[in-house]
Amino acid sequence: METKEKLQEAYIKYVLTNGEQPKTVFIFAKENDMPEEEFYNHFTSFESMEISIWAGLMNTTVAEVKAQEVWGQYTSREKALSLFYSFIELLKGKRSFAIFSLKKAPGSIGNKKLLQGLKSKFEVFSAEIIQEGIESGELMDRPFFANKYKDALWIQFGFVLNFWLKDTSPGFDKTDQAIEKGVNVTYNLFQRSPLDELLDYGKFLAKNTNVKMPF
Amino acid sequence: MIEKEVKEQNSIPTSKVERSTQFVKTGFKIGGNYVKHYSKKLFNPNLSKDELNEENAADIYESLSKLKGSALKVAQMLSMDKNILPKAYVDKFSLSQYNAPPLSGPLIVQTFHKLYGKTPDQIFDKFDLKSSNAASIGQVHQAELHGKKLAVKIQYPGVGDSISSDLKLVKPFAFRLLGMSEKELNIYMNEVEERLLEETDYELELKRSIEFSKACSVLNNIVFPTYYPELSTKRTITMDWLEGKHLKEYLQTNPSQEERNIIGQALWDFYNFQQHELRAVHADPHPGNFMITPDGKLGVIDFGCIKVLPDDFYNPFFSLSSNGFFESKEKTLKAFRELEMIQPNDTPAQIEFYHEVYCQMITLFAKPYTSNTFDFSENAFFDKLYKFGEMLSKMPEFKQVRGVKHFIYVNRTNFGLYNILHELKAIVQTDTYVPQLSLQD
Repeated sequence: METKEKLQEAYIKYVLTNGEQPKTVFIFAKENDMPEEEFYNHFTSFESMEISIWAGLMNTTVAEVKAQEVWGQYTSREKALSLFYSFIELLKGKRSFAIFSLKKAPGSIGNKKLLQGLKSKFEVFSAEIIQEGIESGELMDRPFFANKYKDALWIQFGFVLNFWLKDTSPGFDKTDQAIEKGVNVTYNLFQRSPLDELLDYGKFLAKNTNVKMPF
Repeated sequence: MIEKEVKEQNSIPTSKVERSTQFVKTGFKIGGNYVKHYSKKLFNPNLSKDELNEENAADIYESLSKLKGSALKVAQMLSMDKNILPKAYVDKFSLSQYNAPPLSGPLIVQTFHKLYGKTPDQIFDKFDLKSSNAASIGQVHQAELHGKKLAVKIQYPGVGDSISSDLKLVKPFAFRLLGMSEKELNIYMNEVEERLLEETDYELELKRSIEFSKACSVLNNIVFPTYYPELSTKRTITMDWLEGKHLKEYLQTNPSQEERNIIGQALWDFYNFQQHELRAVHADPHPGNFMITPDGKLGVIDFGCIKVLPDDFYNPFFSLSSNGFFESKEKTLKAFRELEMIQPNDTPAQIEFYHEVYCQMITLFAKPYTSNTFDFSENAFFDKLYKFGEMLSKMPEFKQVRGVKHFIYVNRTNFGLYNILHELKAIVQTDTYVPQLSLQD
């Protein structure tokens, strides 16, 4: 294991046993038998370390879901669902740390600096599956709005994470339901809807009749 | 920040909120249908109410099928009782016996992960992530292991929790659809809730499936799948895949009278063997629970709903259907009282009235039992039954609750059985398994 990962694990362990961050980088480094400079070769602070831990969780999840045999057969919608389920499943093993880390970080869940690293990984993944969906015709390519799909998915991700933090149902079954319903609702908005038909019809009329549109 | 978080919480479509919206939508649509209907009627006074009923039923069904779970179950129950619902409702509600929108593939994988600690692919040689059909509180997937085709039934997550809230949501619709009083509906709802909660207990269902299929293996022309406890969990049941057709598809193949009689007889024996020999009955006789196998046998694939018949119900209830019982008015009244069909504070005039109507009803309903064979294709018998039911529903005397709660499932079972036999147009020997009454005065 690389020093970077070792340090992350040592940090998580420290937080879990002591219920707080180490007092200083110096103390933490000393406990791990290294000089303080060595720590700074990898991270600039405990905060930056936590950011990289969260980003790492998303990286692991993405790699995990893509390794599934069935991945190639999934639709864009199913790929999103799969990512959500797997992420929460992975997080279960680190629930105490997740709660500790998220609670002390300022900002609402979608805007936390703590999750910036995770967010950029998530967005790369979302953009990828949304593009796939648009190319296959599963999703509607709307000018301007299509670029915002990944933001909608991110908001949904924030909801789910927040829901899970407060979920008390056995096995977090309720979170599963929140994912199933939430992601489906979001994806339904990405699909062709009656509103698209209406706009399309309006455009047709505007081009092909002399009727002036009232808008 | 706290406020904001609360807001975010609220935005999550938690079950009840989302379910309620679903019903609100239905309400709007139905309202709309009435407006449409009456505006059409302005121009065409001859327009029949059938069209309106059809539109309402479609909207109600649409909303119910989105809800799944217990609401779907209620839809199925309603569709069994053709006598109380207009025909359009019945046709649409019957759809729920075959189709419901499926769960996503990733959720199936996730559910497996939780229950078995493995993915479906790691347990089975083959597993189809697309469900083959819905089982009202779950869905069925085809799988293969060691060259054997299997059916894996997976329960929708959170079904148990949502049952009570679903039933509360169905209530106002049931009021309107069935025109029942609140008290009447509560007895009905509580008993339904109890059975439904049992149905979500897949460990219990597995145990019962094995017991019942073993006990019923003495019967002719019925097949049961083998169940695999080692591949089942509290939310999944694995059994053999039964090849075959559902009733409607089977009937489209124009089976001969002899073939239909065999299926009909198997159904009759199956139910009456259970009622009279096991004193507990598969109380869910909707066509989706049965298959007709390619070699013309009846396959039974669901033991989720079992109604146990306690002695204090069984004895008075079935003594009523025995020949010549009504000759003794004293005995008859005693049985009616035990079954709470006649209540302690009824006036003598009321006792007279109920005695007469109930005797008529039971004579009519028990008709198949009074001879050795019965032809269920007979429309006259069913017309009489429906007409009688319609007449009762209009009588103010029957607005309030009568009868013990056990009636709900026993009546549903027997009426459901009659309905299926009627659809089959089967001629059935009805004295194969008869009531066994412990003699008492």
